[in-house]
Amino acid sequence: IPRVPGTHSASPCVLAASRELSSGAAVLSCLRAVHGLRVRLCPLGSSDYIVSTRLAVERLLQSELQSPRNRSRLSQRLQRLQGAFQRICVIVETDRVRPGETSRVFQRTQHYDGVLSALIQAGIRILFSSCQEETAALLKELALLEHRKDAAIQVPTEPEGHWRDLLSFYLSIPNLSYGAALNLCHAFGSIAAVANSSVAALAAGARLSRAQAEELHRFLRHDCDPELLP
Amino acid sequence: PVTAGAIVVPYGHVIGNEKWRGSEVAQRLQGKVRLIFEDGLGLVDFHLSNKTCILFISEADLVAGDEFKRRLVKFRNASSLRGIVIVEKTQISDQYYSGVQKLVVLELGMVLLPVANQGEASQLIIQLVSFCVREQSRDRGSNPFLGRQRAPPPEPAVLQALQRIPAVGRTKALLLLQRFGSIHRLCNASSEELEQVVGQTVAQQIYTF
Repeated sequence: IPRVPGTHSASPCVLAASRELSSGAAVLSCLRAVHGLRVRLCPLGSSDYIVSTRLAVERLLQSELQSPRNRSRLSQRLQRLQGAFQRICVIVETDRVRPGETSRVFQRTQHYDGVLSALIQAGIRILFSSCQEETAALLKELALLEHRKDAAIQVPTEPEGHWRDLLSFYLSIPNLSYGAALNLCHAFGSIAAVANSSVAALAAGARLSRAQAEELHRFLRHDCDPELLP
Repeated sequence: PVTAGAIVVPYGHVIGNEKWRGSEVAQRLQGKVRLIFEDGLGLVDFHLSNKTCILFISEADLVAGDEFKRRLVKFRNASSLRGIVIVEKTQISDQYYSGVQKLVVLELGMVLLPVANQGEASQLIIQLVSFCVREQSRDRGSNPFLGRQRAPPPEPAVLQALQRIPAVGRTKALLLLQRFGSIHRLCNASSEELEQVVGQTVAQQIYTF
């Protein structure tokens, strides 16, 4: 089917976690003002940014990777993401030097190299950024790349009225990303339509991988054991 | 000529390109990993396992121009190995880094890791090798970033989901689940069936949701 020119020209949309408002304000304003992306703040539980229907981006400070202190928190976060997303990218950002602070010398630790090795082995992509502005540029590149691969977020991201309740219902399903929940809202008229869909229809409608669609299908049809109910 | 898959790396060894003999990286690796030098590795600098290899881009390569880009593209097109590109990112070569990253990670889909000097490169290689060894020994559970835990029973999550329906709280959600068992069956229930569990108004609300 030949695409009507212009249908894809709208700038890509990026979902950002509301908490980034405090920790990454320059990233957000840069995405909007310099790169002209549509940025929507959402209460994303797990990831910092959602760039396409399948790609989540975590923004980590270099200092967070330096010491073993953050290890368990980091691995929990990334494991959760792997349940919900097909692709994960980590942007390692150099810490900001605060006024009056002389530039800290970055001491590369064994732990840091170990974390990088583990990320690579887990198939997580890693990008390095020297500041928030550069992080924004990288996010834009990722969004454009995903847009070219036809995985861009193309549904409206502002839920209203009944949509809001539906979205909240879908978001409570384990391992379902915010993007997938939005897709479910727009691809299916009602929860009943979702519940009666085949695995293939779920995968196509919500743009999920086969395994994720199977998990959703199982969840919706799961016969609850009254014994296990809390 | 890239020797893809033709190099067999013995367990826990690293095979280095002959040109690295006597270098700082090689000296620092010696004693930590078993390093063997071989001729004719082509574009590759180090083989870490049968599947993973390293291409090293020095500060001088970066400054000298685009030759290293041709080398990376050639490797990418000819080899099925997982290529990890280690790049020397110094004050002098820093300005080229973002361009290299765009090419290597976003366009070629390879892994790129910056180091400040050859000393850091050797530390990094040691860590990478230890992960390659674990991967070969199928000890994948040791990777903290690979999801491996079995899913918890879905009952609490189903209960949570039902409470997102307007007018349904914990008590009604429990009643509905006891009667219908699954979300699928609840969705296909008639409003009369719903009325047997909850009141008429709420039944109507659930039915229209």
